[in-house]
Amino acid sequence: MATAHSVDKAEPQALPALAPYDEMRPGDGAVRPHYAALEARISTLSAAQLAERQRTLERFFLLQGITFTVYGGETTTERIIPTDLLPRIIPADEWAKIESGLAQRLKALNMFLADIYGEQQILMDGVVPRDLVLSAPSYRREMQNLFVPHAAYANVCGSDLIRQPDGAFAVLEDNLRVPSGVSYMLANREASKRVFPGTFRGAGVRSIDRYPDLLLSTLKSMAVEWRPNPQVVVLTPGVYNSAYYEHAYLARLMGAPLVEGRDLVVHDNMVYMRTTTGLRRVDVIYRRVDDDFIDPLTFRRDSGLGAAGLFNAYRAGNVVICNAPGTGVADDKAVYAYVPHIIRYYLGEDAILPNIETFLCREPAQLSHVLGNLDKFVVKAVGASGGYGMLVGPHSTKAQQAEFADALKADPENYIAQPTIQLSTAPCLVDATIEPRHVDLRPFILCGDKITVTPGALTRVALKRGSLVVNSSQGGGSKDTWVLDGDARAIRP
Amino acid sequence: MMLARVADSLYWIGRYVERAEHMCRLTDVMLNATLDRTEAANQVGRIALAAVGHPDPAKVADPYEAALALTLDRDNDGSITSSLASARENARQVRDQITTETWERLNLLYLRMTGAGAARAFSDGSSSFLGEAIADLHLFKGAADATMSHGEGWSFLMLGVHLERAQLIGRLLETCFGEGRTTALSDHFALTSLLRMSCALEPYLRVFTADIQPKFILEFLLLDEEFPRSIRFCTQRIEEHLSAVNRHTEVTPPANPERLAGRLKARLQYADMAEIQAGGASAFLANVLDECAAIHQALYEAYVAYPLELRLPA
Repeated sequence: MATAHSVDKAEPQALPALAPYDEMRPGDGAVRPHYAALEARISTLSAAQLAERQRTLERFFLLQGITFTVYGGETTTERIIPTDLLPRIIPADEWAKIESGLAQRLKALNMFLADIYGEQQILMDGVVPRDLVLSAPSYRREMQNLFVPHAAYANVCGSDLIRQPDGAFAVLEDNLRVPSGVSYMLANREASKRVFPGTFRGAGVRSIDRYPDLLLSTLKSMAVEWRPNPQVVVLTPGVYNSAYYEHAYLARLMGAPLVEGRDLVVHDNMVYMRTTTGLRRVDVIYRRVDDDFIDPLTFRRDSGLGAAGLFNAYRAGNVVICNAPGTGVADDKAVYAYVPHIIRYYLGEDAILPNIETFLCREPAQLSHVLGNLDKFVVKAVGASGGYGMLVGPHSTKAQQAEFADALKADPENYIAQPTIQLSTAPCLVDATIEPRHVDLRPFILCGDKITVTPGALTRVALKRGSLVVNSSQGGGSKDTWVLDGDARAIRP
Repeated sequence: MMLARVADSLYWIGRYVERAEHMCRLTDVMLNATLDRTEAANQVGRIALAAVGHPDPAKVADPYEAALALTLDRDNDGSITSSLASARENARQVRDQITTETWERLNLLYLRMTGAGAARAFSDGSSSFLGEAIADLHLFKGAADATMSHGEGWSFLMLGVHLERAQLIGRLLETCFGEGRTTALSDHFALTSLLRMSCALEPYLRVFTADIQPKFILEFLLLDEEFPRSIRFCTQRIEEHLSAVNRHTEVTPPANPERLAGRLKARLQYADMAEIQAGGASAFLANVLDECAAIHQALYEAYVAYPLELRLPA
């Protein structure tokens, strides 16, 4: 997954303080009960049989065209995203906590967005610093005082969770802009049903098939009520976008047209698409184009990916854009540190899923703590992504630390710091042997007239031994994630 | 109702797939024919290469190299692989509009043609390599027929197939019977090769028996009502699909491709071979090809690249 704004949260650490949590083996050769059936199944398979299943899996992806194109000088080749054969399994009780935690979080974040783009009560009460929010590059002044149905600003959310060495899940990042990866969740499931049908049947895995259907009803619930049969479209940047497969996949499964900016025409603050029979009104746009590019008249003028006048049509209430522009302010790296406070402020509850400890360099006390321990922290620039503007303390030289120290002192507001995090490991098939690799977890949450958490997730895998980087751009892959509907069942290899 | 861009892509999938199939057949027939070192064999080579726009004497001298380039050369926009790549690229852009079964057939063929083993497979047996490609393209069309809804999208796909086919057959006939030809096509071997290139040998024999004559071939490929590669047959399909597409449109577009297609169909339906020959087959063929080009143009103006001003709500 090369998402537009994915960030390498963690880097390899020289000497891990704590041994990582292993999803399958608690130690001493034992196997956790919910992995017992899978373990029993794979222990009966030879290396050659496992390799054969791996090939079946890869062939499935290649045939479906779930590939990205590598444009070379001489040749153009199709590559599949590395996909691991062995599913990651999450027992029902653990999932229940994740589910309620994610729903709580998205509910609070949407209330936060409604407040920020409305009365700004939370800023007046000083729970979140005003300048932190209003100066964030992802804050969109244009969204101020604009009606959003159900106050649902972020309709599709893909949160990145990690499991810490003590076994507890924590949220590493909330993706509220244009989260991707859901097609891989669905495709991985199709593939794993083919390679482990018996184990799958016996395990009692919760179904994720309804995701496209739920997405469509979420999007339809966002349409204004006097348009009874709303026309929903998926807006893609086009075939050269790395997530294009996903856009087409979701459009196909929802039965919604997949449009590009050039298919849209805005006239009299109404949005139309160009069809063979003329122009047809569009009501809801599930856009997979970043804020900056949706409308050259309002945002980036050089954008050829959006439609001129789209934002004005949105302001006029004639079309709904999902997710709403400006949701990025709630997944900003500095605002992230305040999410537990945000949850308490709006819901009066403690966060069910904790944050990773985050130091805000804008606070003098925290800054001096960070400056004193630069060799232990991961320091990130607030506005940057994709691993840029980042210092990985344990892997840095004295010179790099000195350079960052200067940068931190010069512009402390632009930086946060987090301890280097040890992700949990799960068994993966690597070169015909099964070895533990670090994984994270990206579940998908929908919010329209109600919040739905799909009982599944994309598990991203750092395929290099010891690596903590799960991004596909850096050798990361993915695997299917089985959420069980009850206790682990009897072994049926 | 479908997106104009999507209709355009489906139309071009049809065109590219048809072009790839035609090229496979031409290449195969040429390679087979030129195994013999006779003048007739050379003539077949010249016809095939001229029909694809490469009447270069150097290429005629080395049919194997020419065939290899026509099949696998990605730098040549007209090669089979390039056509398939374009068809697949268009299919990728409308992946939400075609069924998985249809997509898989095209994707699989593309992966094989561009895979590392393609050149090797071609040199091991060009005939079976090309034969398999044709069979795969038939599977693609069969999967599309059997799994896609036969609605507007299907019509655009079929419009691409039949318009391309009419033009390809027209160009092949022009090469053999048109103005620029050097020697009259009379050799039995060359004539049967021409029928093979059009996939018409067996259906021809059923109509005209083994009496193979240029004027009968011309008649069969131009005017036969039932043979799917005759130009008349193609124009019948084009008219049908245009009228199906037009049903959905509220306004009759100023550029009316259906009228042009109907006119061409009628001309072929009521044509008389003696008259055609009296007036010169060459002029007739040129006119048919011009009409096909005009249908393509009108199709674009009516459904794909129409001026917005005419369609804005009042």
